[in-house]
Amino acid sequence: MVDGLGAATTSRPASAEELAAALGEAAAAGLAVIPVGGGRALGMGDPPERFDLALETSGMDRLVDYSPADLTVTVEAGMPLEALQAELARAGQFLPLDPFGGPGHTVGGLLASGWSGPLRLRYGTARDYLVGLRVALPDGRLARSGGRVVKNVSGYDLNKLHLGALGSLGVIVEASFKVYPKPLSELSLGWAGPGLEEAWAQADRALSLAMPPVALELLQLGGGLTLVGRIAGTEEGTRRIRRELGWQDADDGFWEEHARHGAERWARLSVRRGALSGLLRMLPEPARWMAQPGVGVAHWFDFEDPDRFVAVRQAAEAEGGSLVLLAAPPDFKRQVGAWGRPPATIDLMRRLRDAFDPRRTLSPGRYLV
Amino acid sequence: MTMNRGAIEQLRKAVGADHVVSDPHDLVIFERDASITGSLPDAIVFPFGAQEVSTVVKIARAHGLPVVPRGAGTGLSGGAVTIRGGIALSLARMHRILEIDPVSRTAMVEPGVVNADLSVEAARKGLFYAPDPSSQKACTIGGNAAENSGGPHCLYYGVTTNHIIGMEAVLADGSIRWVGGDDPDRPGLDLLGMLVGSEGTMCVITRIQVRLLPIPEAVRTLMAAFPTIETASHAVSSVIGHGIVPAALEMMDEVTVGAVEAHYHAGYPTDAGAVLLVEVDGLTESAEELMVEIRRILEANEAFACKLAADDAERQLLWAGRKGAIGALGRIKPNYYLHDGVVPRTRLPEVLHSVGEIGRHYRLPVANVFHAGDGNLHPNILFDLREPGVMDKVEKAGEEMLRACIDAGGTLSGEHGIGLEKNAFMPWIFTPDDLQQMHRVKDVVDPKGMFNPGKVFPDPTRRDARLVARSGVAAEANWW
Repeated sequence: MVDGLGAATTSRPASAEELAAALGEAAAAGLAVIPVGGGRALGMGDPPERFDLALETSGMDRLVDYSPADLTVTVEAGMPLEALQAELARAGQFLPLDPFGGPGHTVGGLLASGWSGPLRLRYGTARDYLVGLRVALPDGRLARSGGRVVKNVSGYDLNKLHLGALGSLGVIVEASFKVYPKPLSELSLGWAGPGLEEAWAQADRALSLAMPPVALELLQLGGGLTLVGRIAGTEEGTRRIRRELGWQDADDGFWEEHARHGAERWARLSVRRGALSGLLRMLPEPARWMAQPGVGVAHWFDFEDPDRFVAVRQAAEAEGGSLVLLAAPPDFKRQVGAWGRPPATIDLMRRLRDAFDPRRTLSPGRYLV
Repeated sequence: MTMNRGAIEQLRKAVGADHVVSDPHDLVIFERDASITGSLPDAIVFPFGAQEVSTVVKIARAHGLPVVPRGAGTGLSGGAVTIRGGIALSLARMHRILEIDPVSRTAMVEPGVVNADLSVEAARKGLFYAPDPSSQKACTIGGNAAENSGGPHCLYYGVTTNHIIGMEAVLADGSIRWVGGDDPDRPGLDLLGMLVGSEGTMCVITRIQVRLLPIPEAVRTLMAAFPTIETASHAVSSVIGHGIVPAALEMMDEVTVGAVEAHYHAGYPTDAGAVLLVEVDGLTESAEELMVEIRRILEANEAFACKLAADDAERQLLWAGRKGAIGALGRIKPNYYLHDGVVPRTRLPEVLHSVGEIGRHYRLPVANVFHAGDGNLHPNILFDLREPGVMDKVEKAGEEMLRACIDAGGTLSGEHGIGLEKNAFMPWIFTPDDLQQMHRVKDVVDPKGMFNPGKVFPDPTRRDARLVARSGVAAEANWW
């Protein structure tokens, strides 16, 4: 079910070739297809106009290739993130992709949704370590971009075009990543206090350290503000940062718990870093949110009033930012729209979409393009 | 193609008569970039500002002229070569650093800003721009963005695309567009990511917003010698296997070391089969701690004559040898030709072995200087252009070396781009469906194919099938 709309048919292909064939046939028949991974981000987007076929990737969950010494891994799109991380952990490595709303994300779903998590402060998003993609296109073809090596400028970087496109240009069937060795040493530190101003000053102090945290989260989830930083480096280095920052030791288990945050109603506020605290102040109290002061992203939970929501969105847009629904009841979505003001380049995006999906087979109506 | 007088007149009016060059004698200066095939443009135009670029694009469109954007012309894949004539659009006059914002740690620059100049300017505010191509003293940020350039420090910091936040670009219809921006999770398709690295085939970049990073507290640079390329390669793998990703991990082979040492006296042992440069940065304690560990790992892998740079002057000297390596190779032969295939790093020893075999087969000296950490090879084929028939051998040898990279699971280019040089090889790594996907995008963005025609995609109409018509002159490459 997507926004209360169920598909007439569900298909669960066992291979990329099968998926591409099913997609091609559906497109030729004029059907509307929504790709489904772990279903964790199905709340994203506007309510679909039509929904005939659910194309599930869970039958494609194999590890295709993993070469720890080359720091590269290739997996099928339906592999759950946790399964991939477990595989990498056996070689002391990891993918710095730690999205909220877990567990249960599939790799393909995550890439299509473009979600990320706290570690983007240091490692960036999937955009920065996705090195190759294989995508099934609505005309039934399978196409690759990038490769399986960590550095590559051969051909256009179409990985980026599919990332975060909510599967509206094609269905991701396989992905290759650059992976990272686990830090030699790691610790978590926390700070708690009542006021946003002081919390923000503490965050700035952490961010201007000679070795800033790899993740820094500011939470207001009921009763005061909490800052939690994740410090990674050599043993002596992390010890020095703990000393300089002077925060309390925090439980390393925080991060796993933190990644479980998600809601029936939540939205992502994204703006240049310097404008984030001003926007957080605009959220109607008692607002529940968690913010990334070093990045410029915050997640806002359980908003109710559509007018207040739109006011915050307009303020974000006035600063060059955005407020995007990650999940909300269909009526709320219809009232405010999932995406907000279209970007100035929407014409070009639409032409691209038309070139890939001329019959609007893929998730019609959901994406902003 | 010859350009009609009307077009020339319109261009002069658009950018000023002094900023249009059309005398055949003068056009020769833009005939080529830093290597391969040359081809004359019909006019060279030096616009100032996006508005003028837009006007030039509209004039070109009206007259059906190709437009080939050009930065410093240091590219190695023929990206700036006007293979079908038309307008060579130089962004050289647009070379201002418009803003450096120490709070948001970003800079706004014009495309003609020289890469190294940006870091010099940013350093006044304690910041630096991470991508550092070896040609950084000459190459421009606009060219880097078009080619998605790399550099030694990309092992840890990532390549150009990881550091560009937004761009202003002029599209084929002459519209001036801003793509990207400092909203970290912009809704909509990632047009910025699509345009970076599109090799001048989709747009003309007129302004660039880049991310800057704080200059690390400490930098430690170690030089280590190894008996063979194989032992050095294993040492590299062992460092990374220990969970350490240094800021840079660069290798030079025996041939390179000999030439470099004679030229720069950087202190490389000339009896080494390979020399490795390793750099780590960060907190003082961490850099020290890491370097001790790295040195231990390297020495356990047969490293000898390890030398830690004692100060910045020593560090600069160690790097001068690496960055100036290609110029130094002029001591062996006057001309060079290099590829930049990438392989999974563990396959380096066998691929380098094949590269050596290929060189021996064609009786051409080969000097390897490359980014060992990310498996990005740079085999330099050395030759003397005056030797009859040598170009055919160079061309064949280069092609076979690339083939060896592909056979090992690698790719055609790590940081130089496909351009004119390797477009014929694209079907080695991409199926017709893969290429068709790329073409779909090109056709949407540039439906008439006016931007940099004949590049990236295989070109069946190519009038000159020769890969290397005029290759780089090592002595000219003293910025390398």
